[in-house]
Amino acid sequence: MKTKSRRDSIRKRKNIEEKYSWDRLSDSDDERKSHKIRALIATVIVVSLFSLYMTKLYQVQVSNHEYYSVKSDSNRIKIRPVQATRGIIYDRKGSILADNISTFNLVVKKELIGDKKDFLDKLGKLVNLDKNMTESINSQYKNRRLKDITIIEDITLDDYSKIAVDQYILPVVELLSKSKRRYKSPEAMAHVMGYVGKVSDADIESSVVKIHEGMTEIGKLGVERFYQNILSGQPGFEKLETDARGEVIRVLEKREPIRGKDIVLTIDLDLQNFIYEIVKDKEGAVIVMNPNNGDILAFVSFPGYDINLFTKSISNKQYAALLNDKRKPLINRVTSGQYPPGSTLKPFIGMIALEQGIINENKFVNCDGAYELDNHKRPFRCWKKDGHGDADLSYALTQSCDVFFYRVAQLTGIDLISEHLYKYGFGQKTYIDLYGEKEGLIPDRAWKSKAKQEPWYPGETLNVGIGQGYFLATPMQLTLATASLATDGNTYTPHFLFGDKNNKTSEVSMYDYKNNKFSTEMKDIHHLDIVKKAMWRVVNDNGVGTASSLKKVKNIEFAGKTGTAQVYNLDKGKTGTKRLQDHALFISYAPFESPEIVVTVVVENGGGGSSTAAPIARDIIEYYMDKKLTSVSKYE
Amino acid sequence: MNDYVGGTRKPFSGLSALLYIDARLVIPIIIIAILGLVTIFSSSSGDLNLVIKQLTRIIIGIITMIFIAQVNPDNLKLFAPILYIFTILLLGLVLIFGVGNSADRWLDLYFIRFQPSELMKILVPLMLATFYADKPLPPKISYIFVAILIVLVPVFMIMRQPDLGTALLIGMSGAIAILLAGMSLKFFLGSTISAMSLIPILWLNMHQYQKQRVLTFFNPESDPLGSGYHLMQSKIALGSGGFFGKGFFNGTQSKLGFVPEHSTDFIFTAFGEEFGYLGVIILMTLYLFIALRGLSISIKATDNFGRILTGTLSLTIFLYVLVNVGMVIGFLPVVGAPLPFMSYGGTSMVTLFATIGMIMSIKSHQRILRK
Repeated sequence: MKTKSRRDSIRKRKNIEEKYSWDRLSDSDDERKSHKIRALIATVIVVSLFSLYMTKLYQVQVSNHEYYSVKSDSNRIKIRPVQATRGIIYDRKGSILADNISTFNLVVKKELIGDKKDFLDKLGKLVNLDKNMTESINSQYKNRRLKDITIIEDITLDDYSKIAVDQYILPVVELLSKSKRRYKSPEAMAHVMGYVGKVSDADIESSVVKIHEGMTEIGKLGVERFYQNILSGQPGFEKLETDARGEVIRVLEKREPIRGKDIVLTIDLDLQNFIYEIVKDKEGAVIVMNPNNGDILAFVSFPGYDINLFTKSISNKQYAALLNDKRKPLINRVTSGQYPPGSTLKPFIGMIALEQGIINENKFVNCDGAYELDNHKRPFRCWKKDGHGDADLSYALTQSCDVFFYRVAQLTGIDLISEHLYKYGFGQKTYIDLYGEKEGLIPDRAWKSKAKQEPWYPGETLNVGIGQGYFLATPMQLTLATASLATDGNTYTPHFLFGDKNNKTSEVSMYDYKNNKFSTEMKDIHHLDIVKKAMWRVVNDNGVGTASSLKKVKNIEFAGKTGTAQVYNLDKGKTGTKRLQDHALFISYAPFESPEIVVTVVVENGGGGSSTAAPIARDIIEYYMDKKLTSVSKYE
Repeated sequence: MNDYVGGTRKPFSGLSALLYIDARLVIPIIIIAILGLVTIFSSSSGDLNLVIKQLTRIIIGIITMIFIAQVNPDNLKLFAPILYIFTILLLGLVLIFGVGNSADRWLDLYFIRFQPSELMKILVPLMLATFYADKPLPPKISYIFVAILIVLVPVFMIMRQPDLGTALLIGMSGAIAILLAGMSLKFFLGSTISAMSLIPILWLNMHQYQKQRVLTFFNPESDPLGSGYHLMQSKIALGSGGFFGKGFFNGTQSKLGFVPEHSTDFIFTAFGEEFGYLGVIILMTLYLFIALRGLSISIKATDNFGRILTGTLSLTIFLYVLVNVGMVIGFLPVVGAPLPFMSYGGTSMVTLFATIGMIMSIKSHQRILRK
C-alpha cells in the first residue's frame, strides 16, 4: 500500500510539475540561450537582406538613373506638331482659288467606347448611321494602330450645332476642329491646283519638296505641288506633359508655326470657268496664254474632277471610279496629253521651209487631190479629193492643202524638219511650273532606228509634214509654238506664278518672267509675215479659210490654224465609233495686229478642227476681248 | 503563480514609461507614418481628404497600440484562442458573403468594412506563441504538427478568397514563429522541401491572374503593357528619382498615373521617386531599426511566450517590408502586399499598430524571475 500511495503521490506530483513545467522551464538557461542564438541568426539574416535590398535599390536609383530618367521623360513628354497655316492661292484678279477652312471631325477614343453595341445604338440616336459609316467604324475599331475612331469627317457648321446639342446622349464622342483645304471651282481648276494629301513615303524621298518635321499634309499635284515649299510654311510644336492615359496635363514648351506664303496665279478664274462650262462634256485641252509674258490665263484639261474630294480621305470606291472613268479625268491633257497636231503643224513646217530657202512665197505646188511617192503603191491623199489646183504657201495654209505640204516636207527632208521644229519648242518640255510634263516627240532617223530598229522611210517625212505619223505634241507645246509665231520669236516660258504675297503687308512681289525668255531665231521677219498672214486668212478669208465661216468677233481680228488629227488604230475600233473620230485642234492668237492671247483648243475625237475646235477658240477670244478691261490683274 | 510583479518599471521618465510605450520602437514608426502621409499627399496631387483619412487611421492605430500595450501578456494568451477561432469564422463568412473587387477579401459589417485576413496577420503569431508558451522546448514533433495546422487553416482559407499575397505572408510569419520556437533546423529543411513539392498543386489551384503575375515576374518584358507594365513603370519611377529624388510634389511617374496604386501597394515607388535613394536609405534604415529593436526586446524577454511573440512579430513586420519593396523593385512577383505604416489603408494600419502594442506589452510586463 505504501508503495502504491507512494506511486500515486509521485504521479500526482509529476502531473502537477508537468502542468506548471513552463514556470520552471521558462527561464532555463538552455531556452534563453537557444532563443538568443536563433534571434541573433535572424538579426544577421535581417541585416544581410537589408544590405541586399539597398544594393539593388542603389543599382536602380543611382547606377541606372540616367537610363530610367530618359524613360520617365519619354513616358510623360509628348511632342505634338502644330501645323502651319498653308498659304492661300489667289487668281490674278484676287479671287481666292484655295484657302483653308475649319471643319469638325466627330471622333471617339477607343478606350472610352465600352460596349460596342450599346455605343452604336446611342450613336444612331446622335447621327444618321448608314451602312458605310458602321462599316468604317468597325474597320477602324479593328485596326490596332488607331487609338481613335473618326466617325464623321468634315462636319458642316449646321450639322455641328445639331450634334453639339445632342451630344449629352453620348458624351464620349468629341468634336475636334481641324483645318482643311478648300478649292473654289474644283473641277474647272483641278489640273491647275492639284490637291494636298497626307505625306507619303514617296514624298519623303522626293527631291523637289522639302519635308519639315511634323508636317502631315503636302501638295500632291499641280500648283500645290510645285509651290509646296512656298505654300507650306513650317510646322511649330508643342512639348506636352501627358498622363498615363495620354491626357494633356500642361504645355511645357511651344514654338509657333511659320505661316506659309500666299501666292497669286496668272489664272483668270472667270475665264477659266467660262471655258470649262463650254467644254466640260468633251475631252481635251484648252490653254489661253499671254504670249508677251508667258502668263497662263486659262488652263483647262477636261473633264476635270472634284479636287475637294481629295482633301478628306477619299474613299477607295470614289478613287477607283475616277481611275476607271473612260473619260480619264485624272489625266492632265494640257501638259501630259500627247497628240498628233495634224494641220496645226503646217505653219511651222512652212516657216522652216521658208527659212531654209526650200520654198519662197511664190512657190506653187499643184494639188490634184493626191501625191504620188516612188515605191508607194497608194498615193498620199489630200483632204480635198478634187485637189486645190496650184497652191502657194499662203493658199495652202488657208485651205490646209495636204499635197502642198507633202511636197514641201519631201523637199525639206526629215533632218531639217526635226532640227528646226525643236526651235519652236516641240520635242521638249515647256518648263511650265507643273511637274509631270511630257515632251512630245519629234521623230527623226536616230529615233526611228533606236525605237523601231528600222530605217527612216521617205513616206514618214510626208506624214510629219502634215502633223501626222509619229510626231506628237502636247497642247502646251502647241501654245508655246504659236506664241513664238505671234511674238516674232520673242515669247516667255509659260507660267502660273504671278507672284507671292506678303501675309502682313499684302504686297505682291512679282514673279520676274523676263528671266525665262523663249526665243526662236527668225532669219527674215518677212517669212513670218507670210505665215501669219496666211493664218489670218484661215479665219478671215471668207469662203477660203478653213475657219472663215466663224462668226466674226466684234472690233478685232484674229489668226489661227485648224487641225484635224486622224486617229489611227487607236483602240482598233473596239470601243465604238466615237472613239475613232479624229481629234479636232485649233491654234490661234488675238488680236492679229498686237497679240494679247494665244488660244489653243484640242478636242479629242471631236471631228473637224474647223467645226469643233475653232468655234470654241472664237468664243474664248470674244469673251476675253469683251471682259478685257476687268480681266487685267488688280496687281498690275 | 503570481510570483512576479507587474512589470519592471525602470526609473520613470515621463509619459512613455507610464503608458508602457517603448520610445525607440514608436519614434521610427511615427516618422514612417508621417513620410507615408507626405507621399500620399503628393502622389494624390494634394488630396487632403486622403491624408485626413489616413491620419485618422494612424491615430486609431496609435490608440489601439497604447491600449494593447497596457494588456497583461497573460490576458493576451487568454484571448488568443478565442480571437483566433472567431477570426477563422469571419474568414468563413468572407468566403460566403464577401464583397470586393476581383478578390473577395472584405467583410461588410455595415458600420465598418474590414479584411479578416489582415487580423490573421497578428493572430497567427499570437496563437502560435500561446500554443508554445506552456510546451517544453525544444517542441515535440506532434506539437509542431499542431502548430503547422494553426498556420495552414487560415492560410488556405485566405488563399481561397483568393488573396495569395496575404496567405503567403501569414504562412511565412507562421514559419518564423515555429522556427523561433526552437524547431530543429533539420526538420525545418525537410518540411521546406516537402512544402516545395506542393508548389505544383498550388499552381493548379491558382487563379489565372495570379498565374499571370507569377509568369510576368519571371519574364517582365513578355508583357510590357500588361502585368509587367506595373513593374516596368515602378522601376522607371524609382530610377528616374536618382540619388536626391525629383523633389516633393515632383514625382511625374506617380502623379501622372504611370505608377499604379501609388498610394497603396506602390507607395514605396512614389516615395523613392520624389525623395531618391537618400530618402530610401532613411526609410529602410527606420524599418531595420524597428526590426532590430523588436529582436532585442525578444532576446530580453523572460518567457517563451514573450520571446516567440515579439521575435515573430518584429520579423514579420520586416518581412512585409521586404515583400513590398521586393515587389516594386522586381525581386518578387507583384502580390498585393502593403508597405507597413506607409500604405494607404485602414485594416493593415490598425493591425500593425496592434502588433507594436503587443511587442510593447511584452517588453513592459517582463517577469521578475524567481530566484
